[in-house]
Amino acid sequence: MQLISRKTILAFFLPGALFMGLFMIYPIFKMGLDSLFNFNPNGLREFVGFDNYIKAFTNESFLQPLKNTLFYVVIAVVVELILGTVLALVFEANFKGNKTIRSLILTPLMIAPLVAGLIWKLMLSSQFGIINQLLVNVGILKNTSQILWLADEKWALLSCTLADIWLTTPFMMLMILAGLQGLDGAMLEAATIDGATWWQKIFSIKLPNIKPILLTALSIRIIDAARTFDIVWAMTQGGPNGSSELISVVIYKTLTRYNKVGYASAMALILIVVLVIFTLVAMQGLWNPKKKQTV
Amino acid sequence: MEKKNNLQGKLMIIISAICAVIWLFPYLYLISSSFKPGAEVVSIPAKFFPKVLSVENFTSLFERMPVLHYIFNSFLVAIVSTLIAIILGALSAYAIQRSGAKLATLLVVIVLCLKMIPTSSIAVPIYELITNLGLYDTKVALIIVYAAINMPFVMWVMLGFYEGIPVTLDEAACMDGASSLKTFIYIILPICTPGLATAFVFTLFLSWNEFLLSLLLTSTSAKTFTVGLSEFLSAYSMDLGPMCAGALIFSLPVMVLSIVAQKFIVKGITAGAVKG
Repeated sequence: MQLISRKTILAFFLPGALFMGLFMIYPIFKMGLDSLFNFNPNGLREFVGFDNYIKAFTNESFLQPLKNTLFYVVIAVVVELILGTVLALVFEANFKGNKTIRSLILTPLMIAPLVAGLIWKLMLSSQFGIINQLLVNVGILKNTSQILWLADEKWALLSCTLADIWLTTPFMMLMILAGLQGLDGAMLEAATIDGATWWQKIFSIKLPNIKPILLTALSIRIIDAARTFDIVWAMTQGGPNGSSELISVVIYKTLTRYNKVGYASAMALILIVVLVIFTLVAMQGLWNPKKKQTV
Repeated sequence: MEKKNNLQGKLMIIISAICAVIWLFPYLYLISSSFKPGAEVVSIPAKFFPKVLSVENFTSLFERMPVLHYIFNSFLVAIVSTLIAIILGALSAYAIQRSGAKLATLLVVIVLCLKMIPTSSIAVPIYELITNLGLYDTKVALIIVYAAINMPFVMWVMLGFYEGIPVTLDEAACMDGASSLKTFIYIILPICTPGLATAFVFTLFLSWNEFLLSLLLTSTSAKTFTVGLSEFLSAYSMDLGPMCAGALIFSLPVMVLSIVAQKFIVKGITAGAVKG
């Protein structure tokens, strides 16, 4: 016997599903359709087949942001992983004041990415920014305009990753800490009795045993970093000369500045497909490890 | 041995305190910059502490933009959209989890994929849709769009919770003659309070912090605080002082709430991890 009638299930399910269908699933299909057309300023549209996709993969206007996004994701996530692990190991130790200091570190966690971008824009300003002033004070820089963090093509993208790292390392730390605290104490005790050093315990026992959590945290962060918009918009708006343009930024610009709906849709759809495939692969390996072993 | 532990403990306090200071430095700098006189924010050389404390930045912020109006918009949109997302998301997730249908697994996967979709990429059709519905620059538009895009997250959290509740509980309630809705409201939801709280706090933050869609969907009357703040970006550097004041006003409630509700935030963040 069905516990809840089919009707009731539908009544529960549909309102929410309608919302998501209208504002998430319908848009994806709409973009799939739009991406096959070129929209002229006079309101007419012209069917161009897969031209927009071909254009994306052969044109610097998409390939450069793609490279930038990859750079951004790799740098931000790797640094966050390392810093997050170090911080988690520090806060795993039992000492007085641990909890208080830990909650202090966690406070920036929920700050708006836009605000994080604005703060770092202020700090990294070449003239009146405090970072360059500090670097001058300790003797690394000769004067405050030696490195133009946001105005130099070499540094702009890296500067944006700094804000990302600041904002989301606490997330990494939290995930890893949760993993470390869930470890079996007896295992570590046994290792201590066997004479394992502090380093050995970290690299041979702790980290390998929290691998599932490490991978989960990594995949969540990779997806989040790949769709970054606010931080870059606040700091550089993709400039100078497109050097810090991420895919999300270029989609927005293509749409609002150049009004190319078809091309923007094609790029957006590529990003969605890549992220969804990544999610499915990650999920297969992470949330369903047993199933994978039997296959 | 004890002495060594004591020493180690002290060392850890010092190391962790240094980490905390470095990590909080950007935010502390924002606070101190907000209370500098406007010109000192952009003075050379940059100093951490203000020479004189001043509320000049706040007064000029209030002169330049309708701060309270934007805060009201942000707040209203965040609260209402969060409530909708929670109520409908919790119901939908319950239906998926308890349906026993073969489709359920597929639906769970779809929910997860929807959770990963970048806002920037679906912003285009959403903008068209809202304009066609005649809802451009209304709070209603932001409320329904935020509710929709945050719903997959709510569902994801709730799915995890429902899984842990034995179906026998539903059955018992059913035997006693409770309707499905009653069972859900009086039996299931009370057990899920921690999950609901986590989903609520998170969704509230996400909506409050949202920027891109508000930038696209509003122009004057429904504009939220994030869009107001972003307008300082195109302004002259002299306006960085008021910008700091605005960023502080905007993020202070978030900071306070993240300390008060840290338990739920930690839960929400590690929710994905514990499933492994």
